[in-house]
Amino acid sequence: MTEVVRFENVGLRYGLGPEVLQDITFGLEAGSFHFLIGPSGAGKSSLLRLLYLAHRQTRGLISLFGQDTADLSREKLPNIRRRIGVMFQDFRLLPHLSAFDNVALPLRVAGIRESEIKRHVEELLVWVALENHMDVRPPTMSGGQQQRVAIARAVISRPKILYADEPTGNVDDRIAARLMHLFEELNKLGTTVVIATHNESIVNEFGRPVLRIDAGKLKIPPQEGPHIRKNEPKINIRPNSLNQKETI
Amino acid sequence: MRFNRSNLALKKDDTNRFLPWIIAFMTLLAALSIAGLLMLKQISQVFEYNSQDSITIQIPAGESSDDDEQRTSKMLVALKKVDGVVETTRVSNAEIKKLLEPWLGQTAGSETIPLPQIIDIKIDRTSDLTAEKLTRILGEIVPGTMVDDHSQWLANLVNTLKSAELIALCIVFLIALATIGTVIFTTRTGMGIHWQTLEVLHFVGAHDEFIARQFATRAFIVGLQGSAGGILLATPILYAFEYILKNLGSGLLPKASLNSSIWIGVSCIVPVVAIIAMMTARSTVIKTLKKMV
Ligand SMILES: Nc1ncnc2c1ncn2[C@@H]1O[C@H](COP(=O)(O)OP(=O)(O)OP(=O)(O)O)[C@@H](O)[C@H]1O
Ligand SMILES: [Mg+2]
Repeated sequence: MTEVVRFENVGLRYGLGPEVLQDITFGLEAGSFHFLIGPSGAGKSSLLRLLYLAHRQTRGLISLFGQDTADLSREKLPNIRRRIGVMFQDFRLLPHLSAFDNVALPLRVAGIRESEIKRHVEELLVWVALENHMDVRPPTMSGGQQQRVAIARAVISRPKILYADEPTGNVDDRIAARLMHLFEELNKLGTTVVIATHNESIVNEFGRPVLRIDAGKLKIPPQEGPHIRKNEPKINIRPNSLNQKETI
Repeated sequence: MRFNRSNLALKKDDTNRFLPWIIAFMTLLAALSIAGLLMLKQISQVFEYNSQDSITIQIPAGESSDDDEQRTSKMLVALKKVDGVVETTRVSNAEIKKLLEPWLGQTAGSETIPLPQIIDIKIDRTSDLTAEKLTRILGEIVPGTMVDDHSQWLANLVNTLKSAELIALCIVFLIALATIGTVIFTTRTGMGIHWQTLEVLHFVGAHDEFIARQFATRAFIVGLQGSAGGILLATPILYAFEYILKNLGSGLLPKASLNSSIWIGVSCIVPVVAIIAMMTARSTVIKTLKKMV
């Protein structure tokens, strides 16, 4: 299996502060599914920021899709970022754009034709049960609805890797479970998934390999190899169950 | 319509409200300066052309008009023999009266007032003929004849006009700088306001070019609107200015008018300002984004 992410002795400090990440070494295989866990302030969000190129490491080596990120010129970053979907802890939806336009953003930025955008975005919004909220702007949406817009935006361009930072942070268990199933569906389609979370019960329930981070250090390296796929989720859902029109 | 807004990832902000007004004001100033500059050019060209090689000879009025006639013809004959004189033109009585009208009023028309006779000559400046030499020669024919060499004071006048043109040009340059500065400032402010949006655009894979285009397109539109407004404001002022110049009367000043070249010059400001605004916004955005990861 090929690795889409490789970290070697990576360290990160913000400004002149202490190292918030130290000697991080791990790899992510294409099509894998990991949880990233650790106490608050451990460095989960920081690690994700390195993964989606929002920050540069202060030392060590990071390669994405087999390319050393240190060699990436500014012009090449967008093309790497288009292969990475991110769902932020605080969603980061653009408040002045409708749900439709928010989800369409990655496609517009990539210069996709408007007719194609319309087809894909509408399809996806139906899939996350927001077909009746396409023209609604995020500030007038419920938290769960905003979350689904954020997910739709993260996956609209069919990213190779999907990162989600606390995707189940502020929602009830039922929504959390549904989101997790959605991530599993995407993973089945070949997307590499990393989910940072506090929610131990979800981690236990889904039985996926875990990257545990504590005080900036990676405690348990990911278990690599074929056993990754052995642990099937306990609740197996039919793919189309995500199409239910019920509100999350 | 949501599909028409395809590229409009940026919300409108307050910087766009005052920018058109500033640009309109800058354009107004630039339009007045450029119109002034072109008018000064018209005037100095006329003077420059006239001052090159012309000298005016003034023969004092004689006892009678017959006397005047006789002296003038004698003078014309004499002038033909002087080395360096290229051309002689007698200024008719009617023309002289017209020239004097602003000072003497209608009385200049009456036959009773004795008028001097005037001959315009063109001389070859490379010859050794000077105004002093000519005064000496002609004074022997008709005592009291005055020789007026325009070149000296006209040259001074032309120099003065030229420095006024230079000042106008400097003003236009300063206005351009101020406009660029304003666009840089408002673009930076706009980027600060939209920072969150810009970050999101980056995360979803937007090139700097894409983001810069958003700001540049808007700066272009604002530049067009603002400068068109400025030209509208400038038009009545220019017409008023022309009216005043025309009614200054007297044949003293060559006529400067709002001819087509001035209007073309002034209306060129609109696209130039829009393009300057667009390019400034674009390069400001690209430069600022380089500081992001
Ligand atoms: N922008 C920043 N500038 C300076 N320090 C930062 C910044 N972001 C995070 N930190 C510090 O880095 C450390 C790790 O923070 P991080 O946000 O990665 O933790 P986390 O594991 O995501 O925590 P949580 O579970 O609460 O979200 C913390 O000590 C935090 O104070
Ligand atoms: Mg965090």
